[in-house]
Amino acid sequence: MIRHLFTLMWNRKRANGLLVLEILLAFVVLFGVSSLGVYLWRNYRAPLGFAYEQVWNVSLNPGGQPSRGEMLGSLQQIIQHLKATPGVAGVARSEGNTPFAFASNNGDLSAGEGARKRVCDVANYFDSSAELRAVMGLQMKAGRWFDRRDEAANSRAVVITEALRDALFAPGESPLGQVIQGPKDWKEVWKVVGVSGPYRTDGELAAPKPGVFLFVGPQDTTHALATLLVRVQPGSGAALEKKISDDIRANGPTWSSTITPLANQRRVQFKQVLTPPVIMGVVSVFLLINVALGLFGVLWLNISQRRGELGVRRAMGATAGAISGQVLGEILVLTTFGLALGLLVAMQFPLLGVLDVPTGVYLTAMGMAAAGLYLLAVGCALYPSRLAAGIQPAVALREE
Amino acid sequence: MQTSAAPVLQLTDIEKIYQTKTIETVALHRINLTIGRGEFVSIMGPSGCGKSTLLSLMGLLDEPTHGTVAVDGRPVQSYSDKELAGLRNLKIGFVFQSYHLINDLAVLDNVELPLLYRPGLGSKERRQRALAALDKVGLSARTNHFPSQLSGGQRQRVAIARALAGAPEIILADEPTGNLDSVMGEEIMDLLLGLNREHGTTIVMVTHDEQQALKTQRLIRLFDGSQVG
Repeated sequence: MIRHLFTLMWNRKRANGLLVLEILLAFVVLFGVSSLGVYLWRNYRAPLGFAYEQVWNVSLNPGGQPSRGEMLGSLQQIIQHLKATPGVAGVARSEGNTPFAFASNNGDLSAGEGARKRVCDVANYFDSSAELRAVMGLQMKAGRWFDRRDEAANSRAVVITEALRDALFAPGESPLGQVIQGPKDWKEVWKVVGVSGPYRTDGELAAPKPGVFLFVGPQDTTHALATLLVRVQPGSGAALEKKISDDIRANGPTWSSTITPLANQRRVQFKQVLTPPVIMGVVSVFLLINVALGLFGVLWLNISQRRGELGVRRAMGATAGAISGQVLGEILVLTTFGLALGLLVAMQFPLLGVLDVPTGVYLTAMGMAAAGLYLLAVGCALYPSRLAAGIQPAVALREE
Repeated sequence: MQTSAAPVLQLTDIEKIYQTKTIETVALHRINLTIGRGEFVSIMGPSGCGKSTLLSLMGLLDEPTHGTVAVDGRPVQSYSDKELAGLRNLKIGFVFQSYHLINDLAVLDNVELPLLYRPGLGSKERRQRALAALDKVGLSARTNHFPSQLSGGQRQRVAIARALAGAPEIILADEPTGNLDSVMGEEIMDLLLGLNREHGTTIVMVTHDEQQALKTQRLIRLFDGSQVG
């Protein structure tokens, strides 16, 4: 029977061409939505690498134009005040690319020389003080985090994430104590003191990127970090926020601050990042509804035009169930034709490495799109197949 | 071949009424009919007298409003759709005036059609039986042609081969020569007569052609849904 269905559908290929095209279109839409969905879901499932609850982003604005030395002095005073404030559990200095801040600081990195040189084209840079690990709850995987030893070191100390280690070093090779080079124009070499877990400041929905933490000591005037990450005690609220703000202003008349809990920033960022895919999903749903209505209509028309043929099949011994099965089988065969064409298109994405998305995402999306396509086709064919099964052979044959 | 007295089809007190919201049409009225095994019976009557309805009832394609249809002595009114389909597939072959071939299937695939619905039959055997049936009707050379590439007479031969492929005991032919010219009509009639004579196939044929009807063993006349002769 399967061969019969394939023969019949192949012989009707011209009549069914538009239907196959419609199925192909549905597959492309499903594949696109599935790819995006799988990509976002995989990102969402990967660990963030830090604890954002009870951490506040305190963005400082010194006002005026203080010298780096003046600014550092003020900053140290502010940090001392904050550390002594009841309700504050820890304070770390950071660049503006704090978690969920829609800000990034990235560049290339390399390790090794000559034939052994390995390059990571894009890595996130995080200038950070020694307190960052405790404030953000970062996980160390090897080596150590920054400490006082790094303040006097000749080479700037860095901690790299596992992803960067995998990009710059051969499997099994320890990065600890090794030197890595920053961007060419910086002309800096850094010494790796530790390997940490991920630090996904771009949020759960963004693809994890390799990262490097660059040590900024308490007396460092080169890197005037004006953003603080403050871990507060659970239950801290507006009162503490006001006190911190007042303390900062007390430091100098021009100083001001913006305080935002990371949890709030995360919510805002999550919504903003998720909005385009949701819009795309809604548009795709409408597209699929159109395709489904088209399929349904064509199948319905098809049944009414083939009453004679279906009547003959009943006369030849087909049961109502066999007729229903045939209609479903035919649409499944056409779906298979459309799917085969769609897979040819979809396979180009992993083969050509389009969009730098892992192959697994595309393969999963292909599977999901194929399953969705068959479900869509069966859903559209169910009612017409029942209509076909209900055809009275005597009536259908007389009509012919 | 001798005809056997054992009835292969028996219709008792058959009535068929088509009912719409406003009109009730009596298509058949108190028909009592027995078709013996190996008989060649023709049914004649004016248009609209119920010939095709009677054939549909004999072919288990429709149910009578009253009365019973029995195949091999067993009434079939309590049969399920599946059982009726099985009976049609095994015992009955249909030949229609307008052939009812599937235009998108080659001749061989058309002839195989009833065998597709026969469980346990492999594709190789289906093919062999279909080829044998085409051989019987003299169309072995046309297996890969499509119906649109054949003449009316050839199409009807394909339809007969399709009916024969399942080796049915009964062939129900609804005006098999109605769309053909006299020469081709004769050819088809000879084919049916040969099947009946040489293979003992029971044939019930609806026809408007008195000459052809006279060639059969028995002639049943219908008028306004009733049997008149």
